Amino acid sequence: MELVLANHSSYPRIGDDAGHQLLRRTIAQRDKGEKTDQDVRAAEDRLTELALEEQIAAGLDLVTDGQIRWYDPVSHLAGKLAGVHINGLLRFFDTNFYFRQPVVKAPPRRSEPLLLEEFNFARKRSSRPVKVVLTGPYTLTRLSIQSQDGAGSFEKLLEAYTSALAEEIAALAQAGATFIQVEEPAILRSPKDFTWLEQSLKTLAARRGAARLALAVYFGDPAPLYDRFQTLPVDALVLDFTYSPGLVDTVAQKGSSKVLGLGLVDGRNTRLEDPASVARQIEQVARRTGLNQAYLNPSCGLEYLPRDRAQLKLRQLAAIKKTFLGSHA
Amino acid sequence: MSRAKLHQLGIELPLLPTTSVGSFPKPDYLMKARADFAKKKITRSELEQAERRATEFWIRKQEELGVDVLVDGEMYRGDMVAYFAEHMQGFQQGGLVRSYGNRYYHKPIISGEVRWKGPITVDWWKFAQGLTTRPVKGMLTGAYTVMDWSFIESYPDRRSACLALAKEIRKEVEALIEAGARIIQIDEPATSVRPEELPTAIEAMHVTTDGLPAYFITHICYGAFEQIYPGMLDFPVDNLDLEMSNSGLDLLALFRKHRYTKDISFGIVDVHTHEVEAEPVVEERLRQALETLPKDAVWVDPDCGLKTRSVEEAIAKMQSVVTAAKALRN
Repeated sequence: MELVLANHSSYPRIGDDAGHQLLRRTIAQRDKGEKTDQDVRAAEDRLTELALEEQIAAGLDLVTDGQIRWYDPVSHLAGKLAGVHINGLLRFFDTNFYFRQPVVKAPPRRSEPLLLEEFNFARKRSSRPVKVVLTGPYTLTRLSIQSQDGAGSFEKLLEAYTSALAEEIAALAQAGATFIQVEEPAILRSPKDFTWLEQSLKTLAARRGAARLALAVYFGDPAPLYDRFQTLPVDALVLDFTYSPGLVDTVAQKGSSKVLGLGLVDGRNTRLEDPASVARQIEQVARRTGLNQAYLNPSCGLEYLPRDRAQLKLRQLAAIKKTFLGSHA
Repeated sequence: MSRAKLHQLGIELPLLPTTSVGSFPKPDYLMKARADFAKKKITRSELEQAERRATEFWIRKQEELGVDVLVDGEMYRGDMVAYFAEHMQGFQQGGLVRSYGNRYYHKPIISGEVRWKGPITVDWWKFAQGLTTRPVKGMLTGAYTVMDWSFIESYPDRRSACLALAKEIRKEVEALIEAGARIIQIDEPATSVRPEELPTAIEAMHVTTDGLPAYFITHICYGAFEQIYPGMLDFPVDNLDLEMSNSGLDLLALFRKHRYTKDISFGIVDVHTHEVEAEPVVEERLRQALETLPKDAVWVDPDCGLKTRSVEEAIAKMQSVVTAAKALRN
């Protein structure tokens, strides 16, 4: 089985060195009127370059822009849509990280590109393919509130977010994106909504062009929905294995009709995994499923870790791959 | 029931006792002292002098406002978890991680066996209590929250790390009781985030408090209350201090469905807004609370710590709390 090393999504936008604090410092200075929005953009550019360099240096085959420009996984997308205002802070699932909640005043509509410019910037500066990551319509809908004159029902709001993101996916695919990851962590908390997720993904998948479309779920156990995930119109499933001790067995037993993203390296904890132990898990999946290819990635975005630990986690991916290949030699 | 316990402990409080959740904003001179200390421009002793001055300011201010059960305001703490991590064995300081937007904090790493090395908050409690005749709460962060807000490297799983912490934090509780504290608040704001781990949080609280002679409060906020109620009534504490106003008092509907059985510190002002709510609004929140809860079980306070507000806003919000409680006592 070919093992492709990939980042999941986000990457720390700060570190302990002065150079890694450029963005924090520049935003603080901008807020005091000492720097401009242009200065902030330049700092974001620099931190994005550093994130790309560190991923490439760690040996990754598929990188992301680190979502360095994102205020959070929700408002960065929803806030750019017409009809949506951004409100107060809420905890992002079970993390100690907070996002700004969208308030929907009218059906959300894409009036400008959301990630196109960011993708083009990263692609020009990366020697490796760049994965584009979007928080999915279902999760955006779950995490939004509707004002009285909003989009209407939950279903209507989901449709509106889906249409907006489908346009973005089409634009990204047209611009050359080869791997687009739609993140839907919220479905693990509301599996009864699966049909809605399925409908939404159908619309997105229809616009993916030549790009590989992946569904990523995390911050919960995907095992109970595993069979249903296999029926979705996506090309890849990126799964968080850290909430589910039995998931490796489930995958090995049931196989997969999709390419899998194996989130076996914990993106939420600093403890480094034992390469031999993870390699054995991959071996189990490879032997039993007969898959030709899988991605090895962290279980979620790496922004929940300090930078030095995030770097170590990426290098651990390479160490795991080496051990896995060694066991096949 | 808990009134009787307070009486046994020698504490008599009026109906609808007023208190605050724990933190108050740091005055400008203390912020400057903390920045100067970080840059090694002043000594630890100079920093502590500023911290004592600020603590005294808040004790006097709470007395002036007429608050019944006081707090030291946590002038000596940066963060409610990192502070304890810095004073216990088995932790190392982690690098920066993002909290939100452009805000970052050093998230601790549990990298060894956690051990209580000696009193952490006791001297501050003694200092604050020495300034007033009103009861001052002992203030700690609970084992579950310390675990949840740290990285865990040296324990096989979350539960074992949590229970190890609970055993050590109990020693701090014992030290506070030994020093004379009779009301002790053990904050567990992380409890409402992973409902499936509520039993672990409750088990840890048993380890920390069982058999100890104090009136115990735990503070919980901003999470999936609907998923942990009524289970959270199993916390072995006398009083649950809950954020109510930010969530539109929607917990009251749950209390009507399943009877609330403990004392409650009922948050009647929102701490996440600069706006100081008008007196009628605050009184109405308390009035609604009293329609569902027995009057002698209700304490009154803000939703959460006030450290993110300005000094003036925090004072105004505490004034609202006291005014509303006084208005509804009779």
